[in-house]
Amino acid sequence: MVATVLKLRYRVLGNTLSRSVWQLIGFIAGALWAASVLGMLVIGLVALSIFQGLEVARVVSVLGGALLVLGWIIAPVLVAGIDTTVDAPRLAPFPLSTRQIMLVLTATGLTGIPGIATGIAALATIVLWLRWPIAAVIALPCIALGVLTCVVATRCMATLSAGLGQGRRGREVIGTVVLALLILSGPIVTSVLSLVDRGADLGVRFAQIAAAVSWTPLGAAWAVPGDVAAGEWLTALLKLLIALATVALIWVMWRRALEASITSPPRRSAAKARAGSLGWFGRMPSGGVGATWARSLTSWLHDPRYSRQLLIVPLLPIVFAFAGGIDGGLFLLSPLLIALMLAIVGYTDISYDGTAFTAVLAAGVRGRADRLGRTLGAAVIGIPITIVLTIVVVAVTGRWETLPALLGGALGIVLAGYGVSAVSSALIVMPVAGPGDSPFKSVPGQSFLTSLSVFAVWGVCIVVSAPTLVIALISVFTGQMLLGWIALAVGLVVGVAAVVVGIVVGGRTLDRTGPDLLARMKAFPR
Amino acid sequence: MPEDDGLAVAISGLHKRFGEKIAVDGIDLQVPSGSFYGLVGPNGAGKTTTLSMVTGLLRPDAGRVLIHGVDMWRDPLAAKSLVGVLSDGVRLFDRLTGEQLITYTAMMFGLPREEIAARTADLLALMDLREAAGTIVADYSAGMTKKVALACALVHAPHLLVLDEPFESVDPVSAANIEDVLRSYTASGGTVIVSSHSMDLVQRMCDHVAVIAAGSVLAAGTVDEVRAGETLQDRFVSLVGGRHVSEGPQWLRQS
Repeated sequence: MVATVLKLRYRVLGNTLSRSVWQLIGFIAGALWAASVLGMLVIGLVALSIFQGLEVARVVSVLGGALLVLGWIIAPVLVAGIDTTVDAPRLAPFPLSTRQIMLVLTATGLTGIPGIATGIAALATIVLWLRWPIAAVIALPCIALGVLTCVVATRCMATLSAGLGQGRRGREVIGTVVLALLILSGPIVTSVLSLVDRGADLGVRFAQIAAAVSWTPLGAAWAVPGDVAAGEWLTALLKLLIALATVALIWVMWRRALEASITSPPRRSAAKARAGSLGWFGRMPSGGVGATWARSLTSWLHDPRYSRQLLIVPLLPIVFAFAGGIDGGLFLLSPLLIALMLAIVGYTDISYDGTAFTAVLAAGVRGRADRLGRTLGAAVIGIPITIVLTIVVVAVTGRWETLPALLGGALGIVLAGYGVSAVSSALIVMPVAGPGDSPFKSVPGQSFLTSLSVFAVWGVCIVVSAPTLVIALISVFTGQMLLGWIALAVGLVVGVAAVVVGIVVGGRTLDRTGPDLLARMKAFPR
Repeated sequence: MPEDDGLAVAISGLHKRFGEKIAVDGIDLQVPSGSFYGLVGPNGAGKTTTLSMVTGLLRPDAGRVLIHGVDMWRDPLAAKSLVGVLSDGVRLFDRLTGEQLITYTAMMFGLPREEIAARTADLLALMDLREAAGTIVADYSAGMTKKVALACALVHAPHLLVLDEPFESVDPVSAANIEDVLRSYTASGGTVIVSSHSMDLVQRMCDHVAVIAAGSVLAAGTVDEVRAGETLQDRFVSLVGGRHVSEGPQWLRQS
């Protein structure tokens, strides 16, 4: 049974890869990246086992293992997305017991690329214990237990998130909250580190944290070999029990969630607005520009795929404040980085329309009107955010003399970004998650192309705003306020010019490329 | 409108290939103004591809499409303003409520604001969607989604309606109501092109029909000409072929 599904899963992977060269390239690039990371990891572990003692090995094993488990639980949201080739709803029509479904899902998780990579990395930790043969032998089942925890926890999370959501809104909120926690995890970790023991050096602090983590479900399995090597048999036994209990508990939780989700699949939540409440569609002028503006603004406010990108923006300065303190240069310059983030959010705007772009195309909306409407929608949200955050950051640092320069630089970048996006989104479409899709869903072939075109768009955007940026930075570092005002003027003039040119050129481009964009989006795997 | 030769749509030499596969292989069709034109054909015959090229959604490799004399691919903006489209198998902007979606479509065509509200209300009533006006389209059933898409196709009162599978999963009462509206629309001079798999529906509703298979037109004309005394269903099967008389495999039979 399990073998059949595994075969099916590799067949699906093979077919997807043979369908498009880009996906194959993306896949190979991903595999090479994973292989190189694994290689470095193994080299590091070998070096560690040769040059360092038991204490360091224990810390590395526990903290590394705990991070691995944590990564399996949360990383899918941010980077890869969980592989939904084989998931519970798709297996539901077949006569399989819940136990069989869980076995199948666990097996596919273990044998996927991330599963294999995790397995190899975990096995490599055996070299840490080679000096203590008994520990090395005991490490083997513990590693298996640890890897199993990773896979089962991921699957459990995915099922829970689908079940807990019980409908659209819930899932969207969960996805956003998880993302926010992830972004703030850096500051959280730094503050935990500083809490532990302010006097001690970093090594001792890590050892303290590792000692604590080794008693938690995250680290228990990875701590057992180290304890054995140190001769602490009782501790080892207790931690092994914790690790076993963890897997058992997750298994039971997963089983419950799975049973609930299979018998009562996520229901439709009838979000009901009052009839006659037209939202932005009641306020904007009729015509191509007004229609596009209203829809774009509605997406920015209500579509989690847009609003999630906005949520990241105010978190950036917070992260920088934790990383370098509010007196650090990074924090003061964070408005510029926010502007860079905001500049590219719409660079492949039409991708988010998906095949609904048909409606725009069939209505014969002029490219120029479409570009202008989308830019207005983005600007109505983005420009105030940029201005407010810049003022807040400057107010926190108290360096008011930098305000005009930073404002000029930030607005210059954002406006340049709108101009560039107006053209790029008439040329580039890529597979993105659908509007109601789970945040855990990965879109095949997306990540590689995304990274390529994002950098291209960023590059153009920086080139266009370079004059403004240079003047603004000189002003900030020399403290010449007059230069700051010049930066503000240049930023606004160049930025507005970029937007006008972008809308005209992008509009003409879209008039030409519209049907081709639609044809490409229709061909995306769904 | 430029010279009107009584044809709502004139298609000549339409070609489209996707990689190896030739989807549309030289289609010529004349759709008279005021006709109710059915497009039938087996799965993969090229119906949707043809309709996409007629409505300016898919660029043809070769050929010409005139909508009331306006070349769809030379002057798309003018041509598209004459056409209302219901596409099959594409998403809608389903984060909007039904009412917002119809309003949005009307705004894209630049209708005056006071006109939009009245038309939206009429369409919601016509499609039995008044209850669901404030529900977002993502939460609609398949049939309701089809109906709101149809409302969007109608809202700017086009001269030509191109409907790809318009009655799929629509309940019989709504279908009958919509049918009435489409009939009075063609009676007043509007033109409707529908693609459908339901021969009964086409035979009942349409006055003209074209049978398409493997990207070519096998037969076209008035329904009576094409069916030549047989039922449309029988005529279709004898034109297209591929019907097998069989009881099905032995293992499937229950006794």
